[in-house]
Amino acid sequence: MKDEGNIRVMKSPKTVELSITNRCNLRCIYCAHFTSDGDQGSDLSTAEWLKFFVELNRSAVLDVTISGGEPFMRDDLRELIDGIVRNRMRFSILSNGTLITDEMAAYLASTGRCDYVQVSIDGSYSGPHDAFRNNGSFDLVVAGLKHLQAHHLRVNVRVTIHRHNVQNLDAIARFLLEDLNLPGFSTNAASYAGLCRSYADEVQLTVDDRSQAMETLLRLNKQYNGRISASAGPLAEAKHWLEMEDARTENRAKLPNCGSLRSCGGVFSGMAVRADGIMLPCSQMPHIELGRINQDHLVDVWLTHPEFKRLRERRAILLEDFDFCRQCDYIPYCRGNCPALAYNILGEENHPSPDACLKRFLEAGGRLPTNNGQLIIDN
Amino acid sequence: MKSDDRPLADPMLVLREEFDDWAILFDPDTGDSFGVNPVSVFIFKHLDGRNTLDDIMHKLSVECEDAPDDAEQYVAEFIDSLVQKGFAGFEQ
Repeated sequence: MKDEGNIRVMKSPKTVELSITNRCNLRCIYCAHFTSDGDQGSDLSTAEWLKFFVELNRSAVLDVTISGGEPFMRDDLRELIDGIVRNRMRFSILSNGTLITDEMAAYLASTGRCDYVQVSIDGSYSGPHDAFRNNGSFDLVVAGLKHLQAHHLRVNVRVTIHRHNVQNLDAIARFLLEDLNLPGFSTNAASYAGLCRSYADEVQLTVDDRSQAMETLLRLNKQYNGRISASAGPLAEAKHWLEMEDARTENRAKLPNCGSLRSCGGVFSGMAVRADGIMLPCSQMPHIELGRINQDHLVDVWLTHPEFKRLRERRAILLEDFDFCRQCDYIPYCRGNCPALAYNILGEENHPSPDACLKRFLEAGGRLPTNNGQLIIDN
Repeated sequence: MKSDDRPLADPMLVLREEFDDWAILFDPDTGDSFGVNPVSVFIFKHLDGRNTLDDIMHKLSVECEDAPDDAEQYVAEFIDSLVQKGFAGFEQ
């Protein structure tokens, strides 16, 4: 056990994200993976992954998230999952959903270890979904999702909000929650990473789009009794920014865990591995190379690597020390937000993320959600 | 349980040691996890099918000073609770 910035570090990561392949059958133009530092040419062999799973078991890692690329591209996926199960772990899968067959869904259910499969659906019909993905992918992902439902697997649908579906959110909610009868879905937004960096002006939400998306998602979430969730993107921003504005107008001293670079806590509970076997602090920061699996020890990297220490200690860096934050009234209510996004925009992780800055959003003409002119505080 | 039983923990359970010698006992088949205090961690580590209750009590008394008189009863109850949950059985 180590103490870093008053937060004790666990003896080993609780969870590890494994990018098992660099390949994908789609080329979504807002993909965070392709053209990023995670976009590495070659995939590890089956044997190398299986060997690493033994180390994960020995290190008491409890669960892994299987990602890519597209995980279902690997012909040996069952063999890999059998290795995960054999080594006493549970798993979840992040997928575009287009390659999931009934047979594969039956296999996943048979393991008894699958926590969920996340698939991407960005529209209530093919138009907005296929706009930035491949034509025909909407029908394939809906078919894949139904296979998962038929085998009673937990499905987490992720809706990435972009310029071509921001007007479709009501219909998307109706399609997912009523027509497909999902218990819920989650949202984010196309962010400045990977391929999206080359198409940002076509894809990313404008300030007006963001304002509208926040208001719409808060309304829909109320209408559907909280069945829409988000850890990033307009819904998450709406909730946190309203809380910040409420605290500012009430002149509160501060909000808990705010005033310094407190986002994010992921480096205290998990880490990631690139498709080429390089260990990372987070899949969103593929440029920070910590070592190679089966050569460097996972627990040594976790406990002693200077880059992990640097990222964990960022929470001690005060926002008031940044020129970027000078004369900002929101400092006591702000956590600085995602270090990966800050890196993608500025080339520096230990900096507040400009994209998630409430002050800049308002200065650019952004609006917080209101109801008859009153801020929607009860969200 | 009887004093000469030799309890054996389910090898598929994960004992994930955390802070201050506490641990999480994780069942990957259900996803359930349970907080385990340091004495229970010590006991769990000795459920290897070779130690009897008497063996475990003896090792615990070496490890822990001032064990209460009714410690054996509590240890037996803890092991029984593991057996009832399906987390342990007895080596024949």
